Amino acid sequence: MTTWIDASCILIVFFSLSILATYRIVGMIQIYALQSFVLSLMPLFLHAGNVSSRDIVLSLGTMVLKAGVVPFILFWAIRRISMRSEIKPIIGLGSSIVCGALLVAGAFWVSMSLRIPGKAAADLGLPCSLAVLLLGFMIMVTRTRAVTQVLGYLIIENGIFLFALSLFDSMPTLIEMGILLDIFVAVFIMAIVLNHINEEFEQGPDPEKQVKPREVF
Amino acid sequence: MITTILIHWLLTLLFAPFFIGVITKVKAVIAGKIGPSLFQSYYDLARLSQKRSVYSSGVTWVFRLAPMIVLAAVLMVSLMIPIGIFKAPVQFAGDILVLVYLFALVRFFMIAGSLDTGFSMEGMGASREAFFSCLTEVTLFMNLLALGLLAHSISLSEMIGANYPVSWNLVGPSMLLIVASLFIVLLAENCRIPIDDPDTHLELTMIHEVMLLEHSGVDLAFMMYASAIKFLIFSSILVPIIIPVKSLDPFINLAIYLGGMTGLAVLVGCVETSMARLRLDRVRHLLLISFALAFFGLIVTWWRA
Amino acid sequence: MSSVLQLPWQVPFGIFTLCIDPLNIIFLIAIAVLVICAGVYGIGYMRFYQGKKSLVSHVSFYCIFVLTLLVIVSANNVILFLSAWEVMTISTFFLIIFNDEQESVRKAGFIYLVASHCATFCLFLMFFLMAHTAGSMNFDLIAKTSFPPMIAVTVFLLSLAGFGVKAGFLPLHIWLPHAHPAAPSHISALLSGIAIKMGIYGICRILWILGVLPDWCAYLLLGIGVVSGVMGVLYALGQHELKKLLAYHSVENIGIIALGLGVGLLGRNYHNSLITVLGFGGALLHVVNHAIFKGLLFLGAGSVIQQTHTGQIDRLGGLAKTMPLTSSLFMVGSLSICGLPLFNGFISEFLIYFGLFQGLFMLPLQGAVFCSLGIIALALMGALALACFTKVYGIVFSGEPRFDLKGEDPGMLMIIPMLVLAGLCIWIGLVPQTMVILTFLAGTYMSRISYFAVDLNIVMVPLSMVIGMSFLFLSLILGLVLLRRFMVGRKDMPVREAWRCGFTRCSPKMQYTSSSFACTIVEFVKNLLLVRSHGEEIKGAFPNKISLGTSVHDASDENIFRPLVKAMFVWSKNIDAGRVRYTQMYLMYIFLFLIFLLAWKLT
Repeated sequence: MTTWIDASCILIVFFSLSILATYRIVGMIQIYALQSFVLSLMPLFLHAGNVSSRDIVLSLGTMVLKAGVVPFILFWAIRRISMRSEIKPIIGLGSSIVCGALLVAGAFWVSMSLRIPGKAAADLGLPCSLAVLLLGFMIMVTRTRAVTQVLGYLIIENGIFLFALSLFDSMPTLIEMGILLDIFVAVFIMAIVLNHINEEFEQGPDPEKQVKPREVF
Repeated sequence: MITTILIHWLLTLLFAPFFIGVITKVKAVIAGKIGPSLFQSYYDLARLSQKRSVYSSGVTWVFRLAPMIVLAAVLMVSLMIPIGIFKAPVQFAGDILVLVYLFALVRFFMIAGSLDTGFSMEGMGASREAFFSCLTEVTLFMNLLALGLLAHSISLSEMIGANYPVSWNLVGPSMLLIVASLFIVLLAENCRIPIDDPDTHLELTMIHEVMLLEHSGVDLAFMMYASAIKFLIFSSILVPIIIPVKSLDPFINLAIYLGGMTGLAVLVGCVETSMARLRLDRVRHLLLISFALAFFGLIVTWWRA
Repeated sequence: MSSVLQLPWQVPFGIFTLCIDPLNIIFLIAIAVLVICAGVYGIGYMRFYQGKKSLVSHVSFYCIFVLTLLVIVSANNVILFLSAWEVMTISTFFLIIFNDEQESVRKAGFIYLVASHCATFCLFLMFFLMAHTAGSMNFDLIAKTSFPPMIAVTVFLLSLAGFGVKAGFLPLHIWLPHAHPAAPSHISALLSGIAIKMGIYGICRILWILGVLPDWCAYLLLGIGVVSGVMGVLYALGQHELKKLLAYHSVENIGIIALGLGVGLLGRNYHNSLITVLGFGGALLHVVNHAIFKGLLFLGAGSVIQQTHTGQIDRLGGLAKTMPLTSSLFMVGSLSICGLPLFNGFISEFLIYFGLFQGLFMLPLQGAVFCSLGIIALALMGALALACFTKVYGIVFSGEPRFDLKGEDPGMLMIIPMLVLAGLCIWIGLVPQTMVILTFLAGTYMSRISYFAVDLNIVMVPLSMVIGMSFLFLSLILGLVLLRRFMVGRKDMPVREAWRCGFTRCSPKMQYTSSSFACTIVEFVKNLLLVRSHGEEIKGAFPNKISLGTSVHDASDENIFRPLVKAMFVWSKNIDAGRVRYTQMYLMYIFLFLIFLLAWKLT
């Protein structure tokens, strides 16, 4: 079972890295959906084969919400406002990937001194969740489009979810459901806000390059 | 010693073109065609080796000697690779360095030979080859580092022949990353589709084929043989890592090896048909992803050590 | 392990003692080989200037330079070392500014002089700190004292700054790309092959003297090696001037040497004699190898420049047809510098790699992480150097002449030294045992362990396998050549015009240039380099004749040292504005200083 947990952790980090290397928003959302799908399978592996009905409910709930509804809302949002499909990174994709790899290394380095009691030293959950968190932050920092900000936020959230999963084997179901609902509402609101912001957040005072936000409504 | 080396070379020369044929066949079948015979690459080589070479005016010894050096270097590398049940005749600590630098020598003469013709198309291919190989070489090295850490050895045979049935459970996650990264390196080094297109001979987007543009006859046969052997080498590194099954019966082992190799060739064929060739400035992103994968694999290996 | 010669010398604290030990023997070998080859080559090369310029001063400075090199390497006394060091600096200055009618050459000479003297300042501080602590001016006695950690670290850092300028560590390398192209080619060969190695020698000597250093010193040295190596080769890729490109490659190779020294120091700190010997030995072997192949490359570049009167890579082309010998010898040098098998560069890189891999397995995590960083950097350097030298060879010697610049092979006086150096490249590449054992001896001497205490079989057995493979490889190439001849039989081999994809009106100027060849890589790392493109945009349907070019500028030159110098100018202008212009005032300063000295000494 640990093999499956480890493999999922690795895959989740890998998907975050590949979101950094993607240059089209549709692709980013697809990878995000894949990442969430893998993440939603993780509760099933946690208890060494003894899958309880609680785990299945949690897994299904996460899957439906994160791998289904949220990407659907995002797709709907970008289709609704028919924005350009290419992202606008502040630093190039190549540098992003290299920085991302370094951030992953940093996450592992930090986790070396962050031993969690009751967890094996070789446990991958903690460093991977930290890495996903950092990569999510990096996506938010280096991408200018509004949708990518939302995606960055969602990836950070995935990181926190992974962290919680690896930290506590049993979270109260109610809290988990609450968190999921929060995300759902947050994304819903963001989709509505996106409709108004549309393209990107305003840049600094550079009159030539400044793009005036187009109003849709 | 000499006999084992000769047998190894014979096996290499015998098997290498077959897998190229498999890829071509798979591509044709998926596209709904019958496709050429599985042994078409053998026929091609035989046909080319009977032809005379035509040299372009003004080429020097570098161009004329390049095919021989390239083929010889690739054959030398094949000595360090176990082929099925036949152990690598040359194994020593640090043979991976010789492997990587012999490939560098191959690249040097490929590039120098193509620049020797003095045509800008060749220059273009050479420039791209020089750039992309910088990325793949570093990635390859990083993968070998991680494999070396796992096997605690710097001899290739021990790295890929280590007892992996046990270690896939232990080191599964990092193995996953290494295999993925090595697969991209395999595609890049053998000029397969998302990176390079082995079928087009006349496009501004190609890399490897344009460097062979001026070679003809026996020289071209040597170059094509060399690239077939290169594919064999890379897949022979990858297959024992992916399928670490070992049985006591040598015939089963050989069957596993040949099956794995054919499977890998089929996989490459599927990738080639299902993907479009990447835009040239996206290729480096793919290569960087493979670099990041290898880097990540190295970190996980350490984390587990 | 050492023999000493002592001569009378009337200088306060100075004793004229020369000492030969396993460490400086390596450097003496490199000096002897290159000085003789470059000297003979110089006779042929300077013929061009005969009657136009006085060669007396050049020859005499050459002799002084050689003499000081020998003294520096074998000096056993601080004062003797520093005097020889200064004389070397000055004689090099005069050798560099041989073509002093050109402004750029004079400027390059002055940059070299200023950089060297800033470095010597650090060296003075370092040596006197050391001599003061040890209570002696002789190296062998200084080496016997154990230094307090603070002083040892200070000495180490000062030596990195002082010797680092001479060696050309990034970002202290700024004089190299100016001085190497300015000097006559055989002098560039010596500068790059030997003069910068004096910096390495100094650091080796300091490492020998300072027995114990904290771990971070090893990491620092390793890091310097990685940065200098990678950045050096990246800068080299962007250059369009043959000798400037080679100068940046010296920075790269110095990086490899520093990497080796760092590994050796790391091994010494962890008391792992195998890693120590591999690191130090590999670095020292690379010192010799770099002297040989870089000497060869500079001499080859000199022949090209002498024949065509230009070093601009993009103006040259197709020289292999008219200069077959020079181009083949340049090819040998290129293959060596890329560290490819059969040639000497591979052997030293193999040793350093081997040391790094041993470090990966044997050292604790932190050391292992740095070792893998070193391995990856070394691999990257190798790949980039390959890109760079295929570019040089391909653009300068292959293809068709771009402009009407043709040359012939120079006379025997210039060819034979190059032949000797190329022969040495192949000798060390194919039969490296002699040099490897010598460098291992030096490596054990540097870390003060017995040569016989190290289990060298761990590396000598793989090395012999490498040698066996090299010979097998050579015979296989020969076999394939014969096979090809047999297969071709009596068929005729027509020579036709190259197939230009149906394009009929090609001009040689349409060949790939060095900028276009390198631009894929330079573009990729443009965040690390200062890349400038100059030229105008294409406008309208029938544009006028326009040009486009890119050039890579040195970031440490433009962003660190130029602002520094500018700030110093401003500062000294301010002082100048406030000064009082009376002679009596200056007399008073002297008077006051005398009184101060008296008061200080008397109390």
